[in-house]
Amino acid sequence: MNETRAVATLSVFVVGILAGIVVHTFVDKGPVESPYPQLPKVEEPRAAHDVIAAIGADDARTLSRLVDSTMLTDLDMALQPITDVRGTRFVGAVESEGRLLSAYVVTGKTTEGIDFVVGFVLRVTNDQVVGVN
Amino acid sequence: MVGLRRLVAGSAGTLLVGMFAGFVIASAVGVFIQDSGMFGASGESPIARAYMLGLLQRDPNSIVGIRPNQSIAQRAAELQGADTSRTSTSIQPLSLTYIGGASVGTYSVHIYAIGLRNSQGVDQFFPLALTVSGGKVIRSE
Repeated sequence: MNETRAVATLSVFVVGILAGIVVHTFVDKGPVESPYPQLPKVEEPRAAHDVIAAIGADDARTLSRLVDSTMLTDLDMALQPITDVRGTRFVGAVESEGRLLSAYVVTGKTTEGIDFVVGFVLRVTNDQVVGVN
Repeated sequence: MVGLRRLVAGSAGTLLVGMFAGFVIASAVGVFIQDSGMFGASGESPIARAYMLGLLQRDPNSIVGIRPNQSIAQRAAELQGADTSRTSTSIQPLSLTYIGGASVGTYSVHIYAIGLRNSQGVDQFFPLALTVSGGKVIRSE
């Protein structure tokens, strides 16, 4: 008798879980449809890869040779509030009329030791990094 | 009669707890799949998408609930700007591309590329990185 009751209770619980999943599929609609066209993804540009590799390796000397002082200032702002870079990841790149945007996420710690993530984009034209956003 | 009532109440309670567990599990799995890009998921956040569409459609009201609170003066100025740009049709969105993103703890970053044609007919192509936390866009740059 007890076994039957346990099986019945468990069965009702499982049915409940399935019903919850079904309800979620109706409630969670995901991102709304965008009326604007999407550009196709392209490969990571070499110049941008070199810059992000220097950041990931904490190699200030190489970075100083790859980008000018204006871009270093922009890069510093883009990385805020991260002061200690722990990881870099290329997330994608798109191109429009010869202008490439190569996007990265950087994980690291703030000065208070809090884990944080920031995203920034290197603008590439004619195989050269020409800006940081 | 009392036994039957107790049985029905107990079963309904178990069913409700199960439904809640199922909803939470489905939600957690959905977020994981969305963030990891498994099964073809882009990793794009619905909040980030809604924010971007609100910006491009110059409709500040549609994103008021998903961005940090602003003062009444800031909101009024934004509505003025949106009305002006809508009536003058000075900016024409050409494309909106989700490039990618990542999450750490409660923070997630979503990066977009935007194509616009300005009032002089010049095409502009620039990125925007959104930081989302607690169901709101807390940073946009």
